[in-house]
Amino acid sequence: MSSSTKVSALDMPDVPMGQLPEHLHLQRTRVVCKADAPIHTEGIQYSGAYASTGVDNSMGPNKFCKNFKTEVVRLTEDEIEFDMVGIDASLANAFRRILIAEVPTMAIEKVLMVNNTSVIADEVLAHRLGLVPLNADPRLFEYLSENDTPNERNTIVYKMDVSCKKGGSRVTVKSDQLKWLPNGSELQMATYDSSAKAKSYTSFSCSQDSMPEFSQKPLGVRFDDIILAKLGPGQVIELEAHAVKGMGKVHAKWSPVATAWYRMLPEVVILKEVKGDDAEKLVKKCPVGVFDIEDLGNGEKKAVVANSRACTLCRECVRGVNEELVELRRVKDHFIFTIESTGAFSPAELFMKAVKILEEKCDRVISKLS
Amino acid sequence: MADDYAMMENDEDDEITQEDAWAVISAYFEEKGLVRQQLDSFDEFIQNTMQEIVDESADIEIRPESQHNPGRQSDFVETIYKISFGQIYLSRPMMTESDGETATLFPKAARLRNLTYSAPLYVDVTKRIIKKGHDCEEVAETQDFAKVFIGKVPIMLRSSYCTLYQNSEKDLTELGECPYDQGGYFIINGSEKVLIAQEKMSTNHVYVFKKRQPNKYAYVAEVRSMAENQNRPASSMFVRMLSRTSAKGGSSGQYIRATLPYIRADIPIIIIFRALGFVADKDILEHICYDFSDTQMMELLRPSLEEAFVIQNQQVALDYIGKRGATVGVTREKRIKYAKEILQKEMLPHVGVGEYCETKKAYYFGYIIHRLLLCAIGRRPEDDRDHYGNKRLDLAGPLLGGLFRMLFRKLTRDVRSYVQKCVDNGKDVNLQFAIKAKTITSGLKYSLATGNWGQANQAGTRAGVSQVLNRLTYASTLSHLRRLNSPIGREGKLAKPRQLHNSHWGMMCPAETPEGQACGLVKNLALMVYITVGSAAHPILEFLEEWSTENFEIDVNTEVGVIRDIRLKELRLYTDYGRCSRPLFIVEKQRLLIKKKDIRALQQRETPEEGWHDLVSKGFIEYIDTEEEETTMISMTINDLVNARQNPEEAYSETYTHCEIHPSLILGVCASIIPFPDHNQSPRNTYQSAMGKQAMGIYVTNYQLRMDTLAYVLYYPQKPLVTTRAMEHLHFRQLPAGINAIVAIACYSGYNQEDSVIMNQSSIDRGFFRSLFFRSYRDEEKKMGTLVKEDFGRPNRENTMGMRHGSYEKLDDDGLAPPGTRVSGEDVIIGKTSPIPQDDAQGQASRYTRRDHSTSLRHSESGMVDQVLLTTNADGLRFVKVRMRSVRIPQIGDKFSSRHGQKGTVGMTYTQEDMPWTVEGITPDIIVNPHAIPSRMTIGQLIECIMGKVAAHMGKEGDATPFTDVTVDNISKALHKCGYQMRGFETMYNGHTGRKLTAMIFLGPTYYQRLKHMVDDKIHSRGRGPVQILTRQPAEGRSRDGGLRFGEMERDCMIAHGAAHFLKERLFDQSDAYRVHVCEKCGLIAIANLKKNSFECRGCKNKTDIVQVHIPYACKLLFQELMAMAIAPRMLTKEPNATKDQKKK
Repeated sequence: MSSSTKVSALDMPDVPMGQLPEHLHLQRTRVVCKADAPIHTEGIQYSGAYASTGVDNSMGPNKFCKNFKTEVVRLTEDEIEFDMVGIDASLANAFRRILIAEVPTMAIEKVLMVNNTSVIADEVLAHRLGLVPLNADPRLFEYLSENDTPNERNTIVYKMDVSCKKGGSRVTVKSDQLKWLPNGSELQMATYDSSAKAKSYTSFSCSQDSMPEFSQKPLGVRFDDIILAKLGPGQVIELEAHAVKGMGKVHAKWSPVATAWYRMLPEVVILKEVKGDDAEKLVKKCPVGVFDIEDLGNGEKKAVVANSRACTLCRECVRGVNEELVELRRVKDHFIFTIESTGAFSPAELFMKAVKILEEKCDRVISKLS
Repeated sequence: MADDYAMMENDEDDEITQEDAWAVISAYFEEKGLVRQQLDSFDEFIQNTMQEIVDESADIEIRPESQHNPGRQSDFVETIYKISFGQIYLSRPMMTESDGETATLFPKAARLRNLTYSAPLYVDVTKRIIKKGHDCEEVAETQDFAKVFIGKVPIMLRSSYCTLYQNSEKDLTELGECPYDQGGYFIINGSEKVLIAQEKMSTNHVYVFKKRQPNKYAYVAEVRSMAENQNRPASSMFVRMLSRTSAKGGSSGQYIRATLPYIRADIPIIIIFRALGFVADKDILEHICYDFSDTQMMELLRPSLEEAFVIQNQQVALDYIGKRGATVGVTREKRIKYAKEILQKEMLPHVGVGEYCETKKAYYFGYIIHRLLLCAIGRRPEDDRDHYGNKRLDLAGPLLGGLFRMLFRKLTRDVRSYVQKCVDNGKDVNLQFAIKAKTITSGLKYSLATGNWGQANQAGTRAGVSQVLNRLTYASTLSHLRRLNSPIGREGKLAKPRQLHNSHWGMMCPAETPEGQACGLVKNLALMVYITVGSAAHPILEFLEEWSTENFEIDVNTEVGVIRDIRLKELRLYTDYGRCSRPLFIVEKQRLLIKKKDIRALQQRETPEEGWHDLVSKGFIEYIDTEEEETTMISMTINDLVNARQNPEEAYSETYTHCEIHPSLILGVCASIIPFPDHNQSPRNTYQSAMGKQAMGIYVTNYQLRMDTLAYVLYYPQKPLVTTRAMEHLHFRQLPAGINAIVAIACYSGYNQEDSVIMNQSSIDRGFFRSLFFRSYRDEEKKMGTLVKEDFGRPNRENTMGMRHGSYEKLDDDGLAPPGTRVSGEDVIIGKTSPIPQDDAQGQASRYTRRDHSTSLRHSESGMVDQVLLTTNADGLRFVKVRMRSVRIPQIGDKFSSRHGQKGTVGMTYTQEDMPWTVEGITPDIIVNPHAIPSRMTIGQLIECIMGKVAAHMGKEGDATPFTDVTVDNISKALHKCGYQMRGFETMYNGHTGRKLTAMIFLGPTYYQRLKHMVDDKIHSRGRGPVQILTRQPAEGRSRDGGLRFGEMERDCMIAHGAAHFLKERLFDQSDAYRVHVCEKCGLIAIANLKKNSFECRGCKNKTDIVQVHIPYACKLLFQELMAMAIAPRMLTKEPNATKDQKKK
C-alpha cells in the first residue's frame, strides 16, 4: 500500500472507523528516511487530527502511563544508554536540554593567582581549571549570588602550589594537585587601611570537613590525571581556586554531561523479497551489518533484516535500484537515549534530576497560572 | 643465486616512484630551508661583492694645491698623496654600549633593546706619499693602517656572519630564538626588516618588438646595456626600422637607424659602423648578415646602405655623429673626439669601455640589427616582454651592493676632500679622522629602516624595498620572506605584466598574489625556486676563447644557464645574478638518471655531506632557469615517463630531457597550506593565500620572549587533519594556525545568512578558538638638550602639568605598571615626566615644575600587564617596553575562515542544546550556510571535510596534496567502511524541537582559521567628541574617538528625500557650527565683544549696523585665508537691491 502507484480517491476502499489507514498510520508513527532526506519528521499533536476516522489523537496521563516504557540497555560508571518508548519528541528533547543546560553542578569559577611563572598564561590556566569536573554534590550547596559573601554553604576552595626544582626535569601539573581547603580561603584581601583587620576572600563560619555531609566524602576532583600545565625548571604555580554552583546554560563547565542525546529507533523494512545475488549485494552494502542472509534451502538465499538497531542511516541500501526494495524508517516515539556524564553525578541519577527539574518547572507554570 | 642477484640489481635500478620524489624534496628543504634565496644573496654580498666594490674604487690621489708661500720653498717639486683601500674585514655583530664596553650582539637583545643587528667593517688602508724632487728623484713613504673601522653593516639573520649561524636547535632555544625561525631578515632599531626582491628587465639582452601601426617605425630592437659592477643607470640603445609608409622621399624606404646615448638624432646604422672603423660595405654586411646568400636580409639592408652612401670614411662618419651631439659650435676635431668617446664609453658599455673594442662592439651592434631583421623578415616572432626569462630579481645582495657602492664612493669622496683640506693647509693627514664611519653605518641603516632605497631626499629612490617583517602567523612570515615586487606603476592599466605567464610555471606561485592595485605585480616565489647569485663569467670566457673550436667537456657552476638556440644557431651562457631557476630530475632515454638505490642511500644517510647537493653533483638533478626551460622537454610525472617507455606511440614526447620533481611544488608558501587546491576555483585559492596570512596560531615559539607591538596567539592550535606534503617543510604541524572544527553545512535558524556562521557557544566555553592578544607599548627617557632628561616615575598631580584623564593608580614608584596589573581604558601604564625650566624672572614661580609625558593604554582596549622590560637603548638612555595581554573569546562579529577562501563572521552563537546533533550525539562547532558553496565552487572544502572525517576515524592524517591520484571515490569508500554515509551526509535532529531535520546535513571536521579582524577592535560609535583643531570638524577614526562620516552619497540621499533640515543638522549643527559678526556696510567680519556687548567694524567706523551670522567654522577659515591672499569675501546680509535702495535714501 505504501508504494507510490497512483489510485483514484474514488476507487479507494472506505476508511474503517476507529482505525487509521495504513499510510496515515505510517506517517503518524514513523519517520521515513528516503534516499535524499527524511520525511514525516513532524509529530501530530492536535487531539482531533484524525477525528474523521474516529481515531483519538489526544494525550492523557492514563494513555501515557499505559504506553510509556523505559529499558536500560547499557550502564557504566559515566555512561547510560536506555530506551524510552511512548513519549513525544518534545518531551524527550526537554529532558535532553535540561540535562545539558539546567542540571546544576559545581565548577571552579574564581582563580586567585598568587604566583604563576609558567609558560601558560593566567587566563588560560584559569580556564582550564574551570573545566575540571569536581567531585562534589551540588545539592549540598547554594547558589552564590552577586552580593553574597562566599561561605561554606556556597563555595569550595581549592589550593594549588606546585613548583619545579631548578635543575630538575620538567613537571606535569595534573588535577590531583588541586587540594581542598575545608576552612576556606587562606589568602588575605589587600587592605589600604592598615588598621582594618585583614579579611580573607571567604568567610566560612565553620570548617567544611566538620559538616556531616562532607566529613566522609572529601570534596576533591573527579579525575586525578587531567593535565593542567607543564612546568620547566624553576617555574612555579601557586593559586587558590573557588568553585561555586552553576548551570550549563551560563557556561558549559557547569554542564553535568559531556553530552546527552537520543536517536529514534531505526526500523529497516524489506518491501519486496530480495533473493540470490541481489541479497548478497544488499548485505555487502551495509557496513554495520543490518542485513543478513537467510538460507531458504535448495541454494536459495533471501535477505532479511537482522539488526536494524545498528543502522547509521548511511542509506547505501536505499540508493539506486534498491529504492523500491528497502525502506528505512524511524519509530517516532521510541528514543534511544544516551547520557555521558562528566562525573559529578552517575548517569542514572542525572536523568532523574532532569525529570525533577522539568516537574518543578511545570509546577511553577501551573502555580503561576492558577 | 645469480638470478636473485640479478633481480636485486634490477630492483636497485628501478624507476623511483612519486613517493621517492618526496624523499628528494625533504633532502632539499633540510639542506636549504625556506629562505635560501635571501641567505645566499646576502652571503654573496658579504663574501664577494663588498670586497669587489672596495677593490674597484680607484686610489685617491691628492696633489696639494697649497697657496704660494714665499719664504718657504719646498724641497720637492711635487708631493702626491695616494690612499688606497685593500682587504676588508667583517667582524661578528657587535654592540658598543654607551660606557664603551663592546660585546657580541645577539638577535634577541637587538630586538628587545631596539638596537641594530650589525657588524663592524674594517679595511686596510695604505697611505703613500710620493715626493718628487727637483732632479726627478722620487721618495715614497708608505704608511699602512691596518683594519680601519669604516662602518657597520647590518647582518642578515642566519647568514654566515650571523651569531646564530649553524647553531643547533638546543643552542637556539637557549639564546631565546625560535628554532623554526628561518632568518633572512635584518634587525634595524629593534624592528625586523625584510628586503623585498625587486623584479626588473634583464639587461644586456636584445629585444625586438613590432610596433603597432600606424607608427613611424615598424620594428624596434632595444638593448639596455649595463656593464657589470657599474653603478650607472643602464644605457639603452634602440635600433629602429622605419615603416614603409612613413618613408618619404621616394627611396625604397625602410631605413634602419639607431639611437645613441647623448646624441639627439637617430643615426643610420651604416654610419655607426663607419664611425667604428668599418668602412667597406662588405665589412659592414659581414657583421650583420652572416650569410651573404641570404638575399632577403641583404635586400632589407639596401636602403640603409644607400642612405649612408654619402659618408664613406670614418672621420666623416664621426663628424656626422658629433654634429648631432650635445655640444654645439666646436671645432671638427673636438666633435670627432666627442663622437669617439661616445662610441667608446657610452655605446653598449657592457661589451667594453676600454680602447680597441670597436670590433667587439661592431659585432654586437651587427647582431642587434641581425635580430631586428630576422623579426622583420618574419623568421622569428617578436620578443615577449613578460617572459620570465627576460626578468631578473634584485635580492638583498644586489640591493645592498648597490647601496654599499654608492656609500663607499661617498666615503672615499669625503676622504678625498678631507685629505685635500689637510694637505692644502699643510697639516698632517690623520686617516682615522678622514674616514667617517657614519656614512656607511647610517646610510645603510636609513635605507633599511625606511625602505627608501638610495640616499635620503634624492631622486631615483625606490620606496617600500624594505618592509617590517610580518609576524602575524608563521606562514605569513615565510611568505613575506619570499615576496617579490615589480616596480611598475600600480595605476598602469596595462594588464599584461599582471597576468600569469606560462614561464611562471614552477617559479612564481600561481595563486598567491594580492587583490586590487598590486594584483599580479606582487608575486611570491614557488617552493623550490633558486635565484642565481651570479658566478664569474671570465673562466667561461677564457675557456671559450681558447678552446671554442674544439670539443671539450668542462664543468661549469650549477647555476650557469646553458641555452642552445638551434634556430638562431646560438649558444648562450648566462652567469648573471637574479635569474630564477628550479631543480628538475634529468631524464635520459626516457629514464630518470636517479635510481631507487640512490633514494635508498639518501634515506639512510647519516652524514650531512650527502643529501641534496650530492644529488646535484652526481648529476641526477640540475637547476634549469626560465630561459633554459624553453629548450627542454619536461615530463609532468614519473608515470608519464613510464608510460612513454611502455607505449611510445601514445607518449606525448619521445625526447623527454627532464622530469618534474613534483607538480605541487609550483605553489608558494601560502597556497601550499590549501588542501586540494586543484579542486577549487582559482580565485578562491588566491583569497585563501591572502587570508592565511591573517590567521592566528603560534607565530614563533619564543613569543613570550619577544615584545612585538601586536601579537595574536591561539589557546589551543591544532595541526590539520587534512594536510599537504609541502606543509611538513613549512612546519605547519609544529606552528599551526587553526583548529579542526566540526563543521555542518546547513540552514539552521537563519543566523548564518550572507557569509555568516553559527558557532557553538559551548565549544567556545570549552576553549574553541580562544586566543590571547598582546600589545606592547614602548617609551624611553629622551634627552632634552644636554642636561635635561625625561624621567620615568609616578607623576604627581601637585606639580605636574598636563596630566591625562586616565588613572595613575596602577603605576609603581618606578613609573611602570607591574606585571599582573589589570589595566583598562585610558589607564596610564608608563609614567614619564620632564622638568619645566623655571623662569624666576616672571616673578611668581609656577605651581608646576614638571610636564607629563606618560603613555596610556588605548582607550578601547583592556587587559593585564604581561611583562615589563626596562633596559637601556643604544644611546644608554633608559628604555622600557610594556606588554599588555588580553583574552579574545570568539563572539558575534568575529571573523573566521576555512582554508578555501570561505570567510565569514559569527552571526549567532548557540549553546550545545540548541545545536543540531547527529545519531552519535555530535554537535557541530560551526554551521555554515550551504549558499556559500555553489557559486564559489570550493569543492576542495567538501573533499577536505570528508577526508577529515575518514582521517579522524582512522586516526591518521589525510593527504590532500594537489596533483596526486587521491579521488573522492576512494575517500568515500573509506568513509563508508567506517559506517557513515559515503558522501559525508548525516541525519540530524533539531536541537530546539528535538525532531529530525528534513534534510541530510553535510558534516565533518574542517580546518578553520580565526582571522585577526575582531569586532572588539572595530566597534565604534560617538555622540559628541573631539574635533580637529584647524577646522573644528569632528575628528576621524576610531582611535581618536572620531565621528562617523556623513559622506556625499549620504548627502545625496537626503537631498533626494528633501530632508533639508536634517541635512543642515548633519552638515552644520552637528559639525562645525560657528557664529561671526558681520559689518553690514562692508560685509566683512567685525569685532565683537560679547561681554561688553560692543560691536565694531574698524574699517567702516561702524558700531551699529552689525549682524550675527551662523556659518561653518571651515567657511570662516576659508574667508580668512582668502583675506590673507588679499581677496575680500563679503557677506551681504541684505538683498542687493535693498542695500542700493538704502544708499539712495
